[in-house]
Parts: sequence; structure tokens; C-alpha cells
Amino acid sequence: MRRAADATLVLVLLLASAAALLAGGPAATPAEALAALAGGGSPEAHAVVVGLRLPRLLLGIGVGAALALAGAALQSLLGNPLGDPFLLGISGGGAAAATAAFVLLPAAALGLVPAAAMAGAAGATALVWWMARGPLGPSSTRMILAGVAVNAAASAAILTILSIAPSPRLPGALAVTMGSLASASGAAVAWLAPYLVVPAFVLLLHGRDLGLLATGEESAAALGVEVGTVRRRVFLAAAALSGGAVAFAGVIGFVGLVTPHLCRLVWGQSTRRLLPRAAVAGAALMVLGDLVAHRALAPAELPVGVVTALLGVPFFVVLLRRTS
Amino acid sequence: MMLLAARALAGGYGGAEVVRMVDLDVAEGDCVAVLGPNGAGKSTLLRLLAGILPATSGTVELRGRPLASWRRREVAQTMGFVPQSVSFAFPLTVAEVVQQGRAPHLGPWRPPSPRDHAAVAAAIERVGLVGREHAAVQRLSGGERQLVLLARALASEPRVLLLDEPATALDVGHQLELVAILRELTGEGVGTIVVVHDWNFALRVANRVAVLHHGWLHAAGSAAQVLRPDLFREVFGVEVELIERPDGVPVLVPHG
Repeated sequence: MRRAADATLVLVLLLASAAALLAGGPAATPAEALAALAGGGSPEAHAVVVGLRLPRLLLGIGVGAALALAGAALQSLLGNPLGDPFLLGISGGGAAAATAAFVLLPAAALGLVPAAAMAGAAGATALVWWMARGPLGPSSTRMILAGVAVNAAASAAILTILSIAPSPRLPGALAVTMGSLASASGAAVAWLAPYLVVPAFVLLLHGRDLGLLATGEESAAALGVEVGTVRRRVFLAAAALSGGAVAFAGVIGFVGLVTPHLCRLVWGQSTRRLLPRAAVAGAALMVLGDLVAHRALAPAELPVGVVTALLGVPFFVVLLRRTS
Repeated sequence: MMLLAARALAGGYGGAEVVRMVDLDVAEGDCVAVLGPNGAGKSTLLRLLAGILPATSGTVELRGRPLASWRRREVAQTMGFVPQSVSFAFPLTVAEVVQQGRAPHLGPWRPPSPRDHAAVAAAIERVGLVGREHAAVQRLSGGERQLVLLARALASEPRVLLLDEPATALDVGHQLELVAILRELTGEGVGTIVVVHDWNFALRVANRVAVLHHGWLHAAGSAAQVLRPDLFREVFGVEVELIERPDGVPVLVPHG
């Protein structure tokens, strides 16, 4: 059953990826796209498929995997099923900084928006960590409370910025808050890859520890987890993944929160096995979501976060009802 | 060599000292019952001994080596710890929880081997939860959950076992089962320290008793030496009567 589910998951990701590359729009037919991928075809098709569709696909895979991994790790770290990058204010901090940068920076410097988003996410992370510190180190409850507060502040900042933004800059700033993979480029993917791979490895390394941490600090320490070290590393890694995702794709909800739960329902609770599956499932959901977002109502494009929610929530509801 | 030895051990939370200057030794096959009123520092002492809470002064040695020089995973391979309760944020099954006890032997990547599965099955059988492996632990009664936590600690095959009030939620039948399990373990040479509120439970399982009062070790020694009526007057403020059953087992009965 688990094997079959694994195979299905990989198949869904592969099919969605193939569809994104080959059937991404009228600019190149599937045959032309295939030729371009093989190194031939017209220069126009090559530009569209290799220059646009491929980076967009890779960005979707990276962002989806990053969000789902961060969500799965934070849920266990906090011992709270609601844990995800949004709950802790990390995405909010990144989005607030990115929106501000979009509105304030001169046109020539708009390439710095991802850097601003990363800085904002890092700032929010540091703020939450500092606020949550108690005499015994940061506690999960304090961390969640701090995250909620930082998130509220970030939302307020975003709304303020949007309401006073000059109209030419408004669409770009709005896109950050709604989430989009449209800014994908080869350079963005190359820049983001190491930023996602290293923290992802850290989380996978601590998969088993995270399962133990979900049962409480005392219980985890008794089973050999260096609670302080692991918590610091996991929190920083999850923050880096979320910050990277916000920087290049804006705020995309739902993937980080619900993908891990989908995987828990299908494969059980072992976090060592959950994390890699959540990453693949997050990638698949994101690629599918983006495909629907920019093909369903073409030429109009929906915010990808809306689509991932529309796709994932019904599936989640059915699974939850069937297994309860 | 002592399995576990504490010297002038002190510690607490945020500058407030809860345990003060405690000396305690556990040899192979020892079962030490830690007694004392609420807030006397019993659970804190257990956390200090397990190294979960760092000591502010004094030392703990595990198998002759300072606990501070052990890595947490090494400690967990040797010492089992049964907390009073555990939070289950996700719907784990009994088998999944007991499986966690093997984590110290597995490290980050290695999947469980047949040897690990055997240890888990043996632990589940020992606490009498065979047939309940796939039950959701959140749906178990409080007593059954305590047994699951005991099984989790047993699955790590510890040489030293620390138990924090393992009997509080157990009905009398399960309490007697726990007594039998603890006796079996001491018979196998496992050193155990068990925090209990029930004096008679302590009398049944422990060959030594340590009484904490305001964080100090008020008295320590064999149960017969320590559990005298004057101790209960001083520490708990109650009058008790020590009755000997026909089979020689002493029973403590409080007055009033």
C-alpha cells in the first residue's frame, strides 16, 4: 500500500512536470517543446521552453518542496498540527519586506526584492526566537504566540504599504502577497538551489529527532535528542526554506500546512519517512497548482496559492473523513 | 561499579534551586524508591539524574563516567526514562510510540532491523499490551498510556531505568503487574529509581528508599529503616501505623 502510494506520488510529479514543460501554452506545441528540450527546434520554442517553462517548473518544485518540508518540520518541532511558516510569522516577515522593497526601490534595483524578502524572513525569525526565549530556552507555546504577533504586524505593514503604494508598482507588490511563479528565471533557480538544498538536508538529517520532539522536550531528551541544538537547527533551516520560497514566489499558503498532513494520512506518522514524502508531495502540488493557475483561465492567470488551496483542500477533506 | 551515582547534586529552574545537595547511589539490581510530599523536588531530581536538566552544582556519574561527558544519545542507550506524561500532538499508534524507544540505537538514517522489531515486540509483551499495537495512543486510558511509556523505555533495553510516578493512573491490577515488571527488571540487574506517592508500592518494589523534603535528602536507607512513623510526622505531617501482614510484608496505614 505504501509502495503503491509512493509510486503514485512520483508518477503525479512526473506527469505534472511533463505537462508543465510540454503543454504550457500556445507559444510552443508539445512536439515543438519536445524538440526544444532535446536541443533542437526553433529558437522561439527553445526560448519559451528552456528559458521560461523549465525554470518555472524547477522553481515550482523547489518552492513546493521547501514549503512542505518547512511545514512538516515545524509541526513536529512545535508539537502542534497547525505549525507552518505562516503561523510563525516567517512568511509574513518576508512578504512585508518584499512588498516594501517593491514599492520603495528604484526601478533599476528591483532585482533586490528577493534579497529583501530573505532579510525580512530572517528578521521575523530572529524576532520570534527572541520573543519566545524564556528561562528554559524558547518554549513552543511562546514561539507560536510570538509568531502570531509577528504575523499580525507583518499583515498590518503589508496592508499599509499596499494602500499607499503608487499605482504603477501596485500589481508587482500585490503579486508578492498572492504568490506567483511568474518571476522564474534560470538565474533565480541557480541562486535559490543551494539556499534550499542545505536546509532541506538539515531537516532530513533530523527527521527521527523531530518525531521524538513532537512528544515533548523532556520525552525527546530522554530518548537521546540534543533538544537545544536540534531545535535551533531545525528552526533556522525551516526559516531559510520559507524565506527562500517567499523571496522567489511570494506568499503561497496551504502547501506548508496541509501537504504534511496529507502525507501523514497516507503514510503514517514516522517523521523520518514523512519528510522526504512531504517534499515530493509539496513539489507535485505546486507544479499542478501552477499549471492550473496559468492554463485554466488563460490568458488570465490565477494566483497559484489560490489554486493549490482549491486543489488540496477537497482532497484533504475526503482523506480526513475517510480515515477518522 | 555503581550504575548511577550522584554527589552533592543540586539544580532547579531559572535560578531557583529545587534539589539541594543530594547523594544517591544505584547499583545493579537496586530499586530505589524516591518519596516525598508534593513539591519536594522528586521529579526534578529524576530530571537531574537523567541529565535532561543540567545540574547547577554537584555531579552525576553514569557507569563511572561523568554524565556531562556523555552524548545524549549514548545516555539514552544506557538509561531509560519514563516521564509522568507525554503530549501526543499526532495520532500515533502504540507500536509507533514504543518504536521510538529504539531511536537511541538507530541514529538519523538507519531503518529498524529485525533486532529492533524484536525489542519492541518484547517490550509490548512485557507490559501486557499485546493485541493493542495498532490502537491510537490518544484513545487509550491514562493507565494504558503509562504502560505504553514504560514499554517505550523498555524497548531501548536500558541498564538504568528512571520512572516518574509510573503507578499513579494504574488500577490495582495494573499496579501489581508493574510491581512484577520492576521486580523482574531488578532481577535482571537493571538499576531502577522510581518516584512514587504510594508508600506501600515503594515497600513492595524497593530495596532502598530515599525521602526528599524541601529539596533535601531527608532520609535514605532500607525501607524498614526509613519508613518509620516519626518520618511521616516530620515530612508529611501525618500519623501512620506500621502493620505487619501475616506474610511479613509491612503495610503503612495513615490515621485520620
